[in-house]
Amino acid sequence: MSRLTSANHLKKVMSRYYTGLRIPSPGKRIAWVTSGAPIEILRAMNIQVAYPENYAALCAARRQSQRLMEIAESSGLSEDLCSYARCHIGSVLSPQAAPWKGLPRPDVLICCNNICSTVTLWYEYLAEILEVPLFFLDTPRVDGSPAPHQVAYVKRQLEDLVCFLEARFRRRLDEQTLAATLKTSVKTARLWAEIRNTAKKRPSPIEAPDLFIAMAPIVVLRGTRAALDYYRLLHEELLLRIENGVGVGRDERVRLVWDNIAIWHALFRVNQMFATHGGVFVADTYTGGWTFELKEGDPLESMAHAYLSVFLNKGFADRLADLEKSLSEYSAEGLVMHANRSCKPYSLIQPELARQISKRMGLPVLLLECDMADPRAYAEEQLRLRIEAFMEQVGGIL
Amino acid sequence: MITAGIDIGSSALKLVILESTGKVLARYVGRAGYGSGARAREFCKSVGVNIDATVATGYGRGQIDWADKSVTELTCQVRWARQERPAARTIIDIGGQDCKVMRISESGTLADFLLNDKCAAGTGRFLEVMAAALEVPVEELGSVPNGPSAGISSTCTVFAESEVMSAVASGLNKEEVIRGINDAVASRVATLALRLGCIPEVVITGGVAQNARIVSAISRILGTRPIVPKEPQLTAAWGAALLAHDKFC
Repeated sequence: MSRLTSANHLKKVMSRYYTGLRIPSPGKRIAWVTSGAPIEILRAMNIQVAYPENYAALCAARRQSQRLMEIAESSGLSEDLCSYARCHIGSVLSPQAAPWKGLPRPDVLICCNNICSTVTLWYEYLAEILEVPLFFLDTPRVDGSPAPHQVAYVKRQLEDLVCFLEARFRRRLDEQTLAATLKTSVKTARLWAEIRNTAKKRPSPIEAPDLFIAMAPIVVLRGTRAALDYYRLLHEELLLRIENGVGVGRDERVRLVWDNIAIWHALFRVNQMFATHGGVFVADTYTGGWTFELKEGDPLESMAHAYLSVFLNKGFADRLADLEKSLSEYSAEGLVMHANRSCKPYSLIQPELARQISKRMGLPVLLLECDMADPRAYAEEQLRLRIEAFMEQVGGIL
Repeated sequence: MITAGIDIGSSALKLVILESTGKVLARYVGRAGYGSGARAREFCKSVGVNIDATVATGYGRGQIDWADKSVTELTCQVRWARQERPAARTIIDIGGQDCKVMRISESGTLADFLLNDKCAAGTGRFLEVMAAALEVPVEELGSVPNGPSAGISSTCTVFAESEVMSAVASGLNKEEVIRGINDAVASRVATLALRLGCIPEVVITGGVAQNARIVSAISRILGTRPIVPKEPQLTAAWGAALLAHDKFC
């Protein structure tokens, strides 16, 4: 796979972010947040955000997640619990065993259940062991577009969140700063959408593993200049690749779409098994979760709308429609679904999605059983056989 | 033109040498393990013909470093069926360590497939473990007469073994327990086949297809009578030899 030169910049951006989190400064406040939390409010109040989920993914990518999960399991947590939760809780219980000694201690926890319901218990447990206040934001399940009463319900909670933070940290939310942060967030999200769109070209200038790596700033630095600048650089690089007809550095024989979170501990290893047979993942359903728009009007109301509409907060029909759209827009010839043992809301409906996709679109679908951060759920020979048979099915024998 | 198909599975090494007329010149079935590659090479030499192309398949296919091509067992099975059972639309292959169900398209290619999950229940290994626990040769499990069947869980080989031990301890007769074991494998395999959508004609291949009791139990659950080829263990190797013809001759 040919390396993107902007990857060097990404490395700097991310290491600056993680180092910055640790540098003490007067009045510095840190919130631990879930990946679907409305961080623009926090950012506008100069509260630093740290992401346990992103941290767990990083530990897995560095192959340091297993030890942390074992610590969590030894403390009594079930092996069936989400591997992000186990990995992160392991780092809290035993910072000495964790990369960078874990995340810096939070002043507050902000949990939004628009991505899953496990986070509720995970954050309650954190609040208990760390003795830190927890703000819980409840987003009811949406079908199609959020209903007005759902938007009103979430907006009221966002107002509560602002009151909670203002009282807790004795600082005011400045409306202009919030508007500016939201503007940067939307600009970044649009650019991220453009970046993902470049893969519609043949050959695609980028593939899913690149996107999985490149997505970190849109999650953890959304609403900042640093994220926006990095994505401008990446976008320019991809446009240049397209102009020169440059793909991902090898033959693009079979265009594929990936569903679910990456297998972080074997990201490139698994990709290589497809690549050997000419497979290129031109899109995935996960990194698309951070391409959102904000409606004009009241900022909290627009945020309520956007944070309710996160794809994992939506029902079967929406998930199926999104998948069909991706598969046709990216001219995909096959769909690979990572049946992710950890992520139940993502994975439980996959067998039915698979059946519908192959029935409605006539496309081959492969289900791969594995886990995003637990290497013990990875059986290489079994994966290889499935992948090779699938590639023979899609692309024939070369 | 003469080609070889070599299938190194988790428990057996299978080899077919094929003439371009489609005639099988030689066949071999032996235990897999260390030295499978060397044994395959020796066998090919012992046949005394010049082999023009070789395709390797099976989990151990990497051992055949002189092969012209490596192809998965699934594609090989389907290739065999296209030649020998052109009416087949579903193949159920029950091997030593896994169970595969393949759907064949009208044009004779691999249209879809399902494999058992990370568990050896419903495979040959399950039968070997149970046969050992009952001190019965594995080949005899299929020749038990009709009669009542002990309820054996089909979810886990290790736990099923303790179920067998407890059935033995409780005084159930051996034949009843064996029937329970056969039924457990059949129900596991048939469920997988039904999940994929089992379109007739159905062919059962792999070593376990030699167990007539399991085949008839599967047939009962599926509601269709599967075909068992004369040499069910050899079909993947045979398909590999056919693919060698297609690609290289």
